[in-house]
Amino acid sequence: MSAPQSPPRGRRAGIAARAALSLYPPAWRARYGDEVRALLEDSGGGPRAAVSLAWHAVPAWAWPPRQLHDGSGRMRASLATTGVAWVLLAGLAAVFAQLAQAQPSSQGQTLAQHPVIQWSYWAFDGFLAVSVLSVAAGGIPLWWLMIRTAHRRREVAWLLAPAVVPAVYLVATFVIADLVSRPSPPVGPWQSGPVADLANGGVGPRWFLALVVLGFAAAVLAAAGPALALRGLRPEGPAVVLAARAAVLATMTMGLACAASVVAAVGLYLWAPADAGYHESWQLAVYLPAVLLSSAVAVVSATRGIRAARPPAVA
Amino acid sequence: MRDGLDRWADPPLLVLASLAEEPKHGYAITQDIADTMGVRLSAGTLYAVISRLESRGLIEPLESDDRRRPYRLTAAGARELSEQSERMRQVASVAQQRLRANYGWGGA
Repeated sequence: MSAPQSPPRGRRAGIAARAALSLYPPAWRARYGDEVRALLEDSGGGPRAAVSLAWHAVPAWAWPPRQLHDGSGRMRASLATTGVAWVLLAGLAAVFAQLAQAQPSSQGQTLAQHPVIQWSYWAFDGFLAVSVLSVAAGGIPLWWLMIRTAHRRREVAWLLAPAVVPAVYLVATFVIADLVSRPSPPVGPWQSGPVADLANGGVGPRWFLALVVLGFAAAVLAAAGPALALRGLRPEGPAVVLAARAAVLATMTMGLACAASVVAAVGLYLWAPADAGYHESWQLAVYLPAVLLSSAVAVVSATRGIRAARPPAVA
Repeated sequence: MRDGLDRWADPPLLVLASLAEEPKHGYAITQDIADTMGVRLSAGTLYAVISRLESRGLIEPLESDDRRRPYRLTAAGARELSEQSERMRQVASVAQQRLRANYGWGGA
């Protein structure tokens, strides 16, 4: 270290520059944060430093330095985000099923008349089934691994959320539907209960909307449990890699199911305007962006997770 | 490997050239570059460059109890700097030769 290069000690880094430093990814800050703060103190850390730091925070997120590669951490974060996005997509799919497939109105005639809607329904059902099976196949081993770790630390509560929260929601829905439902004769065995036909006069539009909002809240809460457990328990190994791969498949198939539901919804809007669900343009205007946004988050997150599973390339 | 390293007065080359003298920490690097090469690197640019050079194994951090961690040039970094400075020298040589021949001016 050359003596003439000694910094003038004692200056304080500017507030803006220190705030700009907080824009960087946590791993970057953990590695370089102290050094940058020291540099800002030595050099004054004026507006130029703040702008420069803020500008370079973007590539630090987009192309993180290879030496900061934390494959397991990235996979866990991606799994948590993908899980929440997948749950939102599943919620949208459930709303679609209620507003379209479970309707006892003239759907039978519509299905027979228009093959686009019929094929979209079949594609929706098929992709949805594959997606749910993928989540089960990839998620249960990781969930079990976390349960065992959490049991030792007595932190099991969050991990029970995916089972407990939906169960509570379903019981509440049954009770509410039983209390407020209006009589409507079922037209098929799948519509024998009030939950299977909430939308079509079963509980009325306001109660239906309330149950949908409550359902999304319950879904996010159910997904937040494992997401928080992933952060706290920090599982590693084959179970995490399997879950990351299953998340990609589950996300792709759920995205395809939702795409099929969008086709069906547009078809209902165009060719079956008399049906109970998706016959107004505002419904599509809400449904389509919600599907696209959730799908985009899920795809980006799942892709980042699967990329993190690969070891970094040698320089 | 060469993306961004073959541009004239590119910050990575300036940092490599600064560290070719001796190991330095961030503030010392910016001061050295400002004093000897007339370029003032901002904090964001400097640490974007440091993280990039470190990830490519061209520089490495030294142990330090202080927050001002020094960096030194690695053998790969010295090789890269040598190759790039040789290219720059060739370009400068050709440019000065042609300026002398056609314009009567070739710099110092």
